[in-house]
Parts: sequence; C-alpha cells; structure tokens
Amino acid sequence: MKFFTIAFKDLKVRLSDKKGFISLLLMPIILTAILGSALSGMFADTVSMPHTELGIVLHDQNEITDQFVEEVLQGDILSESITLKKFSSQSDLKIDIENQTVDLGLVIPKGWGEGLQNGEEKDVMVFTDPSKQLQSSIVESITMSFIDRIASISTATQVFSQELAMIAPVTDQEINVREIVGDVSNQLVAVADSEMNVVTAEEDGKTPISGMQYYAAAMGAMFVLFNATIGAKSIIQERNIETLARLMSSPVRLNSIIIGKFLGTFYVSFLQFSVFILATHYLLGVGWGSNLFQTLVIGLSYCIAVSGIAMIIAGLIVEEKTADTVGGIGVQIFALLGGSMIPIGAFPEKLQLVANIAPNKWFLDSLLEVMNGTTWGALVLPITVLLLIGVASLMIGSLRLRVR
Amino acid sequence: MMLEVKHLMKSYGKRQIVKDVSFTINKGESFGLLGPNGAGKSTLISTICGLISYDQGEVYVNNQSIKKFPLVIKQKIGIVPQEIALYPTMSAKDNLMFWGKMYGLKGAKASKRVNEVLEFVDLKDRAKDRIETFSGGMKRRINIGAALMHEPEILIMDEPTVGIDPQSRNHILETVKKLNESGKTIIYTSHYMEEVEYLCDRIGIIDNGEVIALGTQKELCNRLAGGSVVHLDVENKTEQGIDSINEIKNVKHIVSKQNETKLEIYVNEAHETMGEIVTTAVNHGIKVLAVEVQEPNLESLFLQLTGRTLRD
Repeated sequence: MKFFTIAFKDLKVRLSDKKGFISLLLMPIILTAILGSALSGMFADTVSMPHTELGIVLHDQNEITDQFVEEVLQGDILSESITLKKFSSQSDLKIDIENQTVDLGLVIPKGWGEGLQNGEEKDVMVFTDPSKQLQSSIVESITMSFIDRIASISTATQVFSQELAMIAPVTDQEINVREIVGDVSNQLVAVADSEMNVVTAEEDGKTPISGMQYYAAAMGAMFVLFNATIGAKSIIQERNIETLARLMSSPVRLNSIIIGKFLGTFYVSFLQFSVFILATHYLLGVGWGSNLFQTLVIGLSYCIAVSGIAMIIAGLIVEEKTADTVGGIGVQIFALLGGSMIPIGAFPEKLQLVANIAPNKWFLDSLLEVMNGTTWGALVLPITVLLLIGVASLMIGSLRLRVR
Repeated sequence: MMLEVKHLMKSYGKRQIVKDVSFTINKGESFGLLGPNGAGKSTLISTICGLISYDQGEVYVNNQSIKKFPLVIKQKIGIVPQEIALYPTMSAKDNLMFWGKMYGLKGAKASKRVNEVLEFVDLKDRAKDRIETFSGGMKRRINIGAALMHEPEILIMDEPTVGIDPQSRNHILETVKKLNESGKTIIYTSHYMEEVEYLCDRIGIIDNGEVIALGTQKELCNRLAGGSVVHLDVENKTEQGIDSINEIKNVKHIVSKQNETKLEIYVNEAHETMGEIVTTAVNHGIKVLAVEVQEPNLESLFLQLTGRTLRD
C-alpha cells in the first residue's frame, strides 16, 4: 500500500503551501459571494419581468376568469410589470398590437372559466409582437400555470364529490354534498391563487435555483478543475527535481507510483470540494440539496475525473510553465463551456452540445439537479461519464508518463 | 562478488550512450567511476540501479539479475542522485521518513532510523526545518541520508559534491570514507579526480560511454607512457640540444612547440633523471629558467588516453 504513502505525502506537500491552498479555498467562496449576489436577478423567483402592455379580450364572465384577470394578471406580483388594457373585440386588439401600443394580447374564449372548473379546457389565444417574445413566453407560462392549477383542483373536487356521494348513503346524518364540494373547491381555489413562480416556474414543480446556489456549484466546479493543472505540475516538478526517478529506483512498483500520484490529486481535490461545500453552506447559506450523499458521490466522481486529467496533462507536457499556461487556458475554456461563468442555457444549441466534453459541465448540471431534488437514476449518466473520463485519462496519462 | 556488470549497452535512438561496459565490484569495495561531464556515468548508474532499462548485457547483484529480480535488488541499493531529490517544502525528518517508508520501514523502527541518519549526517538540530531553508551542503547531506535510511548493501553516489562549498565537500567525503570503512560497498562517480583518488580502491575511467581504463590508482598510473612530465622554462632552445636530451635514458618523449619557451619532457624516474636533463640542456647553450616535475596522476592518464582533460 505504498501508493497511500505517496498520496498522503502529496497531500502534505500541497497543504504545506498554505498560501496556494488558502487562495484555492478562498477564491471560489469570494467569487461565489460576489457573483451569487450580483447576478441573483437571473435566477431568483422575485425577478420582475420587463414591463408589458397586455391587451385582453374577455368573451367570458365567470368567477375563475375574474380571478385570473384580477388576482393573477393584476395581482400583487405582476401588477407593476403588467398594464392591462381591455378590448371589446379581437380585431381592435390586433390593430393595437400592429401599432405597437400594446405588446401582446390574450383572448379568453366564452365559457373558459366554467370549462376549467368542469375539466374541459378551452384554448386561450395569444397575439404577440414578434419583438416581444420574452414577455409572450412569460404570459403564456403564467396562463398555463393557472390552467394547470385550476384543472388539478377541478379533478380533485370531482373525485372528492364522487367519493363523498358513495359514502353518503351509508351515513345517518344529512350531508349537504353541494355545499361541502363548494367549500372544498373554494379552499383549493385559494391555493391556486397563492404566490406564483414567475420566471423559473418548473414544469415538475421543483424548487428554483437561486443565484447563490448556481454560482456556488459553478465556482466549485471551476476551482476543483484547477487541481488538474496543479496535480500535473506536481508530477512535472517531481520529474524535474528527480524525486520521481528516485521513486522509480526504490522497490516500489510503477503502478503504485502512478496510483499514488493520481490519489494525491484526488485527496486534494476532494478536500477542497468538501471544505468548499461546508464553507458556502455555513457562510453563504447555500443549500446543496436535501441528499448530501448524492452531492458527495457526484463530488467523488468529479474529483476522479479531475485527477485523471492531471495525469494526462503530466503525460503530455514536459515543462512546468507549459503545463501552467495550457492548464490555465484549458480550465478557463472548460469553465466557460461548462457553464461556470454563464449558465449554459444562454449558449447556442450547438455550443451546448460541444459543452458535453467538459467534465465540469456534467458536474455542475448534476449538482444543480441534486440541489433541485433528483433521483439516483437521473445521476447515473453524469456519474458514469465522469468516472469514464477519470479512468480513461489515468490510463492514457500512465502510458505517456516519463520519469525523466 | 557484490556487483557484476557484463557487456552492458544502452542507446537513445542512434546514439549509443553505454558501449559494452563490463566490470565487477567486490563486497566492501569502494569503486570510482571517473569521467568528464557527458561521458555516460549517470546513464550507466541509472541502468545499474534499475531506473532505466538496458538494451544488451546484464547486471547482477549478489548473483541475481536486476531484470529478473528488480524489486529485490532495488532494496539492496541506496542511490544518491546528482540532483537534490528531496521535497523542498517538507522537513528533513519528513523527507527521511518518506524515503524510509518507500523502502519498507515502518513505525518505531522508521523513527529510530530517521534519528540515526540525522545524527550520522550531523543535522539532528535541523530535523524539523524545511529542506528549502537548508544550504547546498546540508541538502546534499540529507540527500545522502535518504539513501542510507534502509541500510543498503551498496551505495551508489552520482556526483554527490556538485555545486557545494569546500567545507561541505570535505564533510561529505569524510562521510563516504566512514561508510566504506564500516563495510558498505560504494560506487562513486565524479569528474573530480582528487575525490576519486582519495576515496576509491579501484577506478574505472569512462569516456564516450566506454570504460577506457580500469584498475587501482597505482595500476592506472603505471600505464602512463613516461610516467612523469618535466616542464622546463628555457631560453635559446636549439634542435641539437633537444635531440641530445631525447637521447638520455628514461626520457620517452619531448614536446617542443615553435615560438614557445617551454619544453615538456615525458620521463620515467623523473627525480633521478632531472639533473642529467638540465646539464645536457646547459651544455648545448640552452638557458634553463625554471624546472617543474609533474608526478603521474589520473588526469594525465585521461589526457594521454583521450587527448582531453577531465574538465574539458
């Protein structure tokens, strides 16, 4: 087990460089705090949509329709963002959209509210100025969210009334089924009227990620990736000062030396990752998700990938300075590509596809999934990809490793 | 026989670095490999200690082939590399402990050995200091100490005094002497003739990857044609006078360059013949200004064998 001694020695050497290690720990925490606060608007659920002139044609008069118009579109959250203008006809609305006096229009068909209550959905028409796609998407999302909620309530109410009707004949007491159903329905409508998630409304009802959470994961991914360069430099340094040759002259098998060096980078990476998680949680209040074990497994897989990449860099590069330059640039590119600087969703589709080569992309995506709450099944692919990157890099790096 | 090197060959591409080298070293012997920089000493050492593979030939330690039993043989060898192969940000103690563990030392035994080695290299008071804070000489001593941790049977030292002050150099030479006197087999490579002369029982002179001379210091010096050199500083040198000196018994060869006032006379039994040389010169009208006798040494042997000095 001499590889443990070699790995532990590497950890000791890295920890003895207090300045370097502290900066590797502090920098991501500071950057997380700055970016998480500064860019929270891109993520937080309190973000305001661009001001929108919304035209509406109401062919329907119903409690549900009124609720949608008065309490959702003109409710506390959206009243500052949406100015509502009522139109009597669809053609008037279209003219105003063409004249750009309103940004987009909604046409609520006759019987829409009642239809929703009865589980019969009628289409709402949305007219948009092509330059106002964002507002259009947001309003569509709000409308769909409202429809989903009412539809759920309607279904729940119907099931409840059917069940109640079946129970009623065997009870002695008189039951006003209609009244109870109405009460239940009203209570559920109140739920439907509760605060809505405006921008990051998730289809599956997951908790949205805050800016602080995103940048904690993103900075963690980027700074752990720096260990690939640092680990490679440690091997190159050992080659230069001939400690690697001395190790090779000792009765230690080559694979023990390789595994030892690989584990050395792994120890440091995982230590950095663990300290970073604790520090961001306690100092910045970052929530890393409810399943810490998932976070740790993803972290372990990523650290294996990073340690493998260190071996491949050390195998391909001879000079320490070259490793520094290539590694530094490589980490920056991977960080950008992997979403550590800007969320990957902002990239063109093709670039998003290319981003799959970046291990930090897989790591970051998985961490965000875990923060959101996810299943182990959803993590199988990223964990496999990260482990494959680690093992393949270790093998290639080992084949290319030179003692002198 | 402790170590046997048989027809060893090593090439890098088309360049042959070690050319058919053979020698043996007995237990407890101190063997010197003397040669200029780039002669192939370090490559030869690296093949002997199993760091690099060789193309042809064989290396045996205690009659075991290093190809067949690499780990067993590596355990018997302690290598002191030319570079300071230590971790600069770790303490002397931690470095020694690490290298001890690489050779299988553990626990209390390893700690005890660390203290012994620190005492031996006279650095016990600096045990907890980082290597990077040490002087060049101190680093060299810990570099030797790391090779001694597992008490090897053979100690291979590759130019262990390069780049250090004379005081530290003396300290290291005394350390090596002490180790040899305690029974350790030593292979010492250097391009410093005086170090090899001082430390080694037998010497191999290596140049361009070949061992060009091998034997004790006395044996090697006896191989010099015209053992000593008498240097004469003269005026009015004449061809007739030089011819007369050349006819003196024991004089082997004379080098006289045109327009120079010096004569180099290669001679056996220099001190006995010197008087006759000076008398002959004076009798032929040559004015002798100064006389210097250079005794035979490895440097002059190397010069004679290769036409270059060791530090060329």
